[in-house]
Amino acid sequence: MDIAASLLAEAIKAGTPLLFATLGEVYCERSGVINLGLEGIMTIGALTGFATTFITGSIWMGFLAAMLAGGVFSLIHAFASISLGVNQTVSGLATVMLGTGISSLLGKRYVGLSLRDRLMPMTIPFLSEIPVLGGFFRHDPLAYAGIVIAIVMWYVLFKTRIGIIIRAVGEKPEAVDAAGVNVYLVRYICVFLGGVLGGLGGAYVSLYYTPGWREGIMMGRGWIALALTIFSLWNPIGSVLGAFLFGGVEVLQFHLQEYGVPASLLGALPYVVTIIVLTTSSFGFMRRKLGVPAALGKPYRRES
Amino acid sequence: MSMLKLSGVTVLLIIVFFAIGTAVGYFIGGTGKVSESQYNELQSRYNQLQTMYNQLQQNVSALTRKLKAGFVYVGPVEDFGWTAAHDQARRYVEKIFPWLSTTFIESVPEAEAARYIERLVAEENVDVVFTTSFGFMDPTIEVAKKYPNKIFFHCSGFKRLPNSGTYFADFYQIYYLNGLMAGALTKTNKVGYVAAYPIPEVIRHINAFALGVKEANPEAKVYVRWLFAWYDPTRAREAAQALVSIGVDTIAFTEDSTAIVEFAQQQYSEGKQIYVFSHYSPMQDIGPDVVVSGQLVHWEVIYADILMKIRMGIYNNTNLENVDYLWMLKEGAVELGGKPGVPINPKFVNELKNKYLPGTTLSVYNAVMSRLALMKDTNVPFDPFTGPIKDQNGNIRIPEGQRATIEQLFTEKMNWFVDNIIGSPSG
Repeated sequence: MDIAASLLAEAIKAGTPLLFATLGEVYCERSGVINLGLEGIMTIGALTGFATTFITGSIWMGFLAAMLAGGVFSLIHAFASISLGVNQTVSGLATVMLGTGISSLLGKRYVGLSLRDRLMPMTIPFLSEIPVLGGFFRHDPLAYAGIVIAIVMWYVLFKTRIGIIIRAVGEKPEAVDAAGVNVYLVRYICVFLGGVLGGLGGAYVSLYYTPGWREGIMMGRGWIALALTIFSLWNPIGSVLGAFLFGGVEVLQFHLQEYGVPASLLGALPYVVTIIVLTTSSFGFMRRKLGVPAALGKPYRRES
Repeated sequence: MSMLKLSGVTVLLIIVFFAIGTAVGYFIGGTGKVSESQYNELQSRYNQLQTMYNQLQQNVSALTRKLKAGFVYVGPVEDFGWTAAHDQARRYVEKIFPWLSTTFIESVPEAEAARYIERLVAEENVDVVFTTSFGFMDPTIEVAKKYPNKIFFHCSGFKRLPNSGTYFADFYQIYYLNGLMAGALTKTNKVGYVAAYPIPEVIRHINAFALGVKEANPEAKVYVRWLFAWYDPTRAREAAQALVSIGVDTIAFTEDSTAIVEFAQQQYSEGKQIYVFSHYSPMQDIGPDVVVSGQLVHWEVIYADILMKIRMGIYNNTNLENVDYLWMLKEGAVELGGKPGVPINPKFVNELKNKYLPGTTLSVYNAVMSRLALMKDTNVPFDPFTGPIKDQNGNIRIPEGQRATIEQLFTEKMNWFVDNIIGSPSG
C-alpha cells in the first residue's frame, strides 16, 4: 500500500466518527436546535456500544445499542430546549457534563478490557488496487455507510418535502406552525436523530477506531463535530468533505512531523476555519448566503 | 516496753549500716575522690543507657502505632496506566500492613495540587503523603514546609526537604532489552517509537531502546513520532498507522493507553504482523498475537520499603533530605514483560532463539535473559549506556568503556538521540 493511498484510507477512518456526529448535528441545527451536548452524547454511545459488545459478544448489537442510547440521552436536551424552552447553550453544556460524568461512573468496570469481536474491512476487489484512490475502497462497512447516509440525508434535506419542513422549522417556525406542522415534533425528531448518529460516532471510536473504554475517550471529537457543522455550512455533503479533511489533518500530523511541521499548528486548523465562518456569518447579509438557520438557538413558543 | 525493744533493733541496724557505710566510704575515700575519667565513663554509660531506653520506647510506640498514608493522583484510578499502577500498589501495601490505613484523591489538577495535599494533611490527618506526578513537585515542597511534622514523598521529582523525600522506578534497562528483541524481529529494518513528550525520561527510554535495536540489528533504524500527550489513544493510533505506512513493522511506545496494542492486533486480524511492546500495564492479553514483551512497574516494592522504614523510625521528619529512591531491576521495582511473570510472549520465544546477535553465537533470547540477570544482580555488572555511544551528529557522547552517569541519564543533559534514530529529540 503506497503512502498516499494509506493516507486517504486513514483520513476516512479518522473522519468517520466525526462524519456521523456532524450529520446528526446538521439536521439538529437545521431544525433550529443547537445541541452542544454532542461530546456527552458520543461518550454515552461509546460506553453503551462497548459494554453491549462486551456482554453480548456482538459488535452489531453494540452499534445498535449505542445509537439507541445516544438518541434517548439526547432527549434530555430536547425536552429542556424544546418543551421547556430553556437556553440551549446551557442545556447543551449540561448534557456534555452529564454524559461524560455518567459514562465515567458506569464505565469503571470496563476500563482496560478488550473485545474479541472485531469489525473487518471490506476490501472492494479491483477498485482497491487503483493507486492513491484505492484508499477509498478498503474500509469497514460503517465508513461506506457514512458516505451513503450523508448522500441520503442531503437528498432528503434539499430535495424532498420533509427536508423543506425541517429547514422551514429552523427558519420560520411560526410560519410552519401556521401551516399546520407540529414544530415541536419536528425538532424532537431532529434532535433524536442527532443523538442516534452521535451515539453511532461514539461507538465507532470505542468499538473500532481505538477499541476499548476509558474516561475521556472522545478526546474532544464532539466539539470538533460542532465546528464541522458550521464548517460544512449545514450541508450533509459539506460534512463529508469537512470530516474527511479534518480526519486527514489529524493523520497528516505524523507524516509531516519528520519534516519539522509542528503538529499543534495543523491541529488548530479546524478551529481557525470555524472562527472565520462564524465571523463571516455574523454579518447579516452573509447569514443568508451561508445558510445559517434563522431560528437557530431560539426556543419556539406558540402564540395562542 | 516494746518501744524500747524496737528501738533496740533499730539501733542495731543503724550501727550495722553505719559500719558498712564507713567501711565503703573508707574504701573509696581511701583512694581519694571519684576520678574525672571514671566520672566521665559513668556519665557516658548512663547516657548510652538513656539513649537505648529512648530508642526502645520509640520502637515500642512505633510497633503499636498506626500509620495513615495519603496518595495524591494526577489521573483517575482506572486509567490503566500510571495512576492505576500507583493505586494497585496502594491497595497492596494496605493489605499486607495491618498497621497501615490509606486514603487517596484522584484526578488532582497540577495547578491546584497544594490545596489538595494540604487537605489530606490537615483534615484527613495523614502521617505521610505520596504525591505521584512530576507537576506536584513544587506544591509538595510548599506544603511540606508548612507542616514540618509530617512526612512527604514525591514521585519523579528532584526537590527534597528534611521531611520530604523522592522516589522513582525507571525502565531504561527494560527498554534496552525490548530493543534487542525489536531489532531481531523486524523484517523491514524499520522500528517505530511513539513517544509522549521530549523530556529526559522519554529520551532516555528511546535511546536505551535504540541501543538494543542497534546491537541486535545494526541495519535497523528507529523512527520516532511525538504525541505531546501522556494519554491520547486517537493520536497514538494515528502515529502508529503513520509509522506502519512508511514500512515500520515493530513499535514501542510511551503512552498510557492500549490504543497501539489494539491497533496492532487489528492489523494482525487483517493479515499483517506488527510487533509491539506493552507499556506500563499488562497488555499482552489485549494483543496476544502482537505483544512481544514490555515493561511493568511494581510501585508496591518502593511503597512497602518507605512505609516500613517510617514505621521503624528509620525515616522521620528530619532525615529525608538525601532520601532518593531510584529503583530499577535490581530492587525489583520494574519487570520485563507484557504480563506479570511472562518476560517474553511464548509465541515469539522460538523466533528469538533462532536469531543471533551479529557476529556472535549468542541467541537474542539468551542475550535478553542473561542481561536481564546481570541487571538484576546486586552489583549490576551490565548497563546499556556503556560507551562508545555516538549521537545523531556522530559526536561521542559516552566514551569507550565508560558508563553514563546518573547526571547524564537523568537530567537535562539527556537531550540527544543515539545515531540509529531518525527524528528530533526536541519534538
